[in-house]
Amino acid sequence: MKHFLTAAALAMAAIPAAAEEDITIGFAIAKSGWMEAYDTPAAAAARIRIDEINANGGLLGRQIKWVEADTKTDRAQSAKAGLQLIDEGADMMIVSCDYDFGAPAALSAEAAGMNSFFLCAEDVKAGIQGVGPNSFSGSVLAAVQGATMAEWSHAERDARRGYVLLDTFIEYNKGICRGFDWMFPQLEGAEIVGRDTFKNDDASIASQITRIKSLDAEPDVIMLCSVIPGAAAAVRQIRAAGINSIILNGSAVDGSYWLNAVPDLSGFVLPVQGSIHGDDPRPEAEAFNVAFEKATGARPASSYAYPGYILMDLWAKAVERAGTLEGAAVTAELEKMDKEPTAFGVRSFSPELHHQNIAPMQIIEITDGKPAVISEWTISEPVPLDVLLSR
Amino acid sequence: MSDITQLFFDAAALGGIYAMAALGIALIFGVMNLVNFAHGEYIAFCVFALILPSTDAMSVMFLGRAPAIVLIPVILGLGALIAVASEMLVFRHMRNASPVAMMVGSFALGFVIQNTLLALYGGRPKAISLWPDLNMPVELAGASVPVLQLIVILTTLVVVTGLALLLRKTRIGLEMRAAAENFRMARLLGVRANVVITGAFALSGALAAAVALIMATQTGVADVRMGGQIMLVAFIATVIGGLGSLPGAVAAGFLIGAASVVLQAYLPLDARPFRDAFLYTLVIVSLLVRPQGLFVPKSARPRI
Repeated sequence: MKHFLTAAALAMAAIPAAAEEDITIGFAIAKSGWMEAYDTPAAAAARIRIDEINANGGLLGRQIKWVEADTKTDRAQSAKAGLQLIDEGADMMIVSCDYDFGAPAALSAEAAGMNSFFLCAEDVKAGIQGVGPNSFSGSVLAAVQGATMAEWSHAERDARRGYVLLDTFIEYNKGICRGFDWMFPQLEGAEIVGRDTFKNDDASIASQITRIKSLDAEPDVIMLCSVIPGAAAAVRQIRAAGINSIILNGSAVDGSYWLNAVPDLSGFVLPVQGSIHGDDPRPEAEAFNVAFEKATGARPASSYAYPGYILMDLWAKAVERAGTLEGAAVTAELEKMDKEPTAFGVRSFSPELHHQNIAPMQIIEITDGKPAVISEWTISEPVPLDVLLSR
Repeated sequence: MSDITQLFFDAAALGGIYAMAALGIALIFGVMNLVNFAHGEYIAFCVFALILPSTDAMSVMFLGRAPAIVLIPVILGLGALIAVASEMLVFRHMRNASPVAMMVGSFALGFVIQNTLLALYGGRPKAISLWPDLNMPVELAGASVPVLQLIVILTTLVVVTGLALLLRKTRIGLEMRAAAENFRMARLLGVRANVVITGAFALSGALAAAVALIMATQTGVADVRMGGQIMLVAFIATVIGGLGSLPGAVAAGFLIGAASVVLQAYLPLDARPFRDAFLYTLVIVSLLVRPQGLFVPKSARPRI
């Protein structure tokens, strides 16, 4: 026992010396409040990649350690968390999933000249356009998801008559619809036959349903640009009203946790970066699911864990190539990435866009309440920047 | 013709939910000048009581598994219980405080309930499979109306009639009306203040529970923030209905629901995202024209 204590004391004394050599990643994420459910899995995924890198000898020959600060799902706390992490010696900062809650911390990282990555923001502002030249997002733009749904449904389900139902709650929803609106009308024979809006917390969307039912014929597809809980409520009401069009959505509704809200749902399709259901055609993706279960005790609840793993992977590669942790140098290496392979498909960055405006997506269809991968789709051309920036 | 019928049913269903929530707020305001902002959290609490507490993404039904004949009274009782408990633990101690202090107290209580739910259930919305068949539409006078909408309309009518009978025909009702008119005078004349106030809270909580059941059936989801929007609309309904007036709250609840549905149906697409801005403009106009509210109770006097 005595020897053990001595050894422990020596080990603890040795830590500060080693710590100077360590690379520090700061996590400014929500550990409480409603955002926590989205930040925790993605942060856990980033740490899985950190552990893998450490096990393979580290980054630039140094071990990576991480520190974290709670943003409490609060914009003011996010700014504070960012400053706190800089004080604690962070070399790079990972911030909250959502643009609104991650941006205050990302801005303090930007001011300190370091790289920042949004865990899974899908708004174009999460990057150069909203934060600054050293900020990136680990996810795929919402507009890509909408455009993927448009092109896929046109090609594989002969969708010609589309209906757009936009939930005006958050920017992400508008992004999905923007992508669909850009892609669908330019496809052969396809037209948008109607559109409507609702609000995520509307107690009822009866009048929106009345509008769909008053069309001459049921649309082939309904592009529902919404997130849970509003999306689940909308789908429940649409299906209950006897509308059987294929319902398309973005990645945000991934996961089976909400499916009980619409018993025996069929004909519901969404694009994801990888499948959590054990049927991803790429073995690396499923290997990650297994690693995630080992690290956290459960498989990912949605595909929003993946961007955490991807961003850590890409950043570490860029650091290795740049040979430094200095923000601008790493950014330059990241911007050179063109179709860089990851476990979840290729990723690219450019000096104009620190986000994915084209990416391979797994298409998941829910049939009788069971989600399954039915194909993979990459849009034929990237979503142009002016479409992304249009309001 | 069928368009108008459809519009009527859509409006009545949404208005019914608002009316029921507004009634819950007006009841409490009537007896103790308290705008209870925790009312929305009572609704969320009752919805979450349907599922087992767990931070896992998948929800497991708890009370929601019980047959309707058991579930409805249990949830209504639970709503009454949390309202009465909050009166005993919080508002009873603030009875002599200013209305503004009580209102702030109700905000604080709402935060406590909401954060307790967050701690128990996590921040992710949960799925609830409650009576999905009720969303099936039936054809009625040329309109397609989900059974649930009919139930909402009927329930609202029953609740409003029942409450009117309670207020007119029973002793507690008489005491509540007396307390609403002039609380101090009523007490001097022997009205049992604690019974009246506890009764009002119990009724208000049961109304929140009824709204919760309707919301859960309609949307199929539980979310900690779900009570907020309804609470806001219901509060506005009590204001434009005339603070303290129960029929006013009900009428204004229906009115706001109807206005919201009509705006959604007839606004041009570009203006539709701003539906609520138009709605609240109408509210402002209504308050400018009748600052004392559309249906002013006799007891109207300067408040807040």
